[in-house]
Amino acid sequence: MTRYIPFVIYLLLIAMYEVIWRDFTVLYLIAINVPAMLVVIVAIYKSELTAAWFGFLAGMVLSAGNPGGMGWQALLLAAIGIAVFHLREKLNLESIYSKVLLIAGAVLLHNLMSILINDLNRILFLTWSYCLPSAVYTSLVAWLFFLFKEKKVTLENIKSVF
Amino acid sequence: MNQISNLFPKSWRNLHFIVLVFFSILLLFGGKNITEPASRLIISSFYYPFFKIKNFMVEMSAVAAENDLLREQLVSASTRIAELEEEARGTERLRSLLGVDPPAGYSLVPAKVISVTYDGALPVSAVINRGARDTVAVDQPVVNQSGLIGRITDVLGNFSVVQLLTDPANRVAARIAETREMGIVKYKTNEGLILDNFPVQGKIHEGDLIVSSGLGGVYVAGLTVGTVLEIIRPDDAQFCKIILDPAANFGSLEELFILRPVNK
Repeated sequence: MTRYIPFVIYLLLIAMYEVIWRDFTVLYLIAINVPAMLVVIVAIYKSELTAAWFGFLAGMVLSAGNPGGMGWQALLLAAIGIAVFHLREKLNLESIYSKVLLIAGAVLLHNLMSILINDLNRILFLTWSYCLPSAVYTSLVAWLFFLFKEKKVTLENIKSVF
Repeated sequence: MNQISNLFPKSWRNLHFIVLVFFSILLLFGGKNITEPASRLIISSFYYPFFKIKNFMVEMSAVAAENDLLREQLVSASTRIAELEEEARGTERLRSLLGVDPPAGYSLVPAKVISVTYDGALPVSAVINRGARDTVAVDQPVVNQSGLIGRITDVLGNFSVVQLLTDPANRVAARIAETREMGIVKYKTNEGLILDNFPVQGKIHEGDLIVSSGLGGVYVAGLTVGTVLEIIRPDDAQFCKIILDPAANFGSLEELFILRPVNK
């Protein structure tokens, strides 16, 4: 049972981001896509089924405020989890940049699909003004995350600079 | 569970996907009966604690803003109160000045102290905002509501210099109001205001009122100088040492009156 605790924490992290941190991190209406980023990270480090179920639940948590889109979001993030897992099997993911690229692609796909579901008329405008910048912004955050996770940057490194 | 999944790994995976797709279809096409309870459950379990935290943060931020505003208002109100208190003190002072009556043959010329010159703890002279244009002349006495302050020693067009009682060079011919016995009031830096030249056998008591005698021609008779604070009678001396408590507070001179003879 305890092995599920990290995933519950990730889901709580999504809720916390959406409620509290989103307002502080939005830059010119561009937000970090934390659910998609977490689904990709889980898919990179965990099994296919875990990625699929985590994606499904992350989609449900993400769209709790909009129950009409809950099914689409759950299915979309579950599909992204499975797709990333299979890509991970085929790609060399030793490099941080490949992981960041995977996240950028997944976030772009998630943003695009979310817009396709909700607002088909403004797809081109939103792709340019939101989907791409959001993918870049999320990738930047993911890059920092991987730098710390893979110990490329540690607190000791940072302290030694000062 | 793990044993079953190990026996049929492929089937187990497919079963998961079937269940996952089934739930997705349920959420997609199940309508509000399915999605709304799920949404409520997720909101109450995942979002609710963060809503509470955010609400608390918003409230704290509003409280902080209100606190800043109140602090600003408090400073403003405190400043205003200080101003009003100062005005009230001024009003009280001016009200007490209304009760000052000039001696017969004199009129009062109100004046404000512009600056004072110190020699030690107390001021020895003051510059007032009345001068020759107000027919102020040298040697005119200066009083306030408490009593004698000094005399005019120098006059300019719009200003005059007042030599205060606290100037050691100043002398006032005085007498005890009750017994009419006389002496000379002067200020000594180490002893304060004293009544000098008073014989040891003279009748004087602590608390007696000392007024100007009018002798000498500068100070009008009857101006309050002070009260007897302490009497020291040395055995081998002709005169006793009498320490006075000045009637006026020389540390807070503000509004004064020049006693101008009416016929001038």
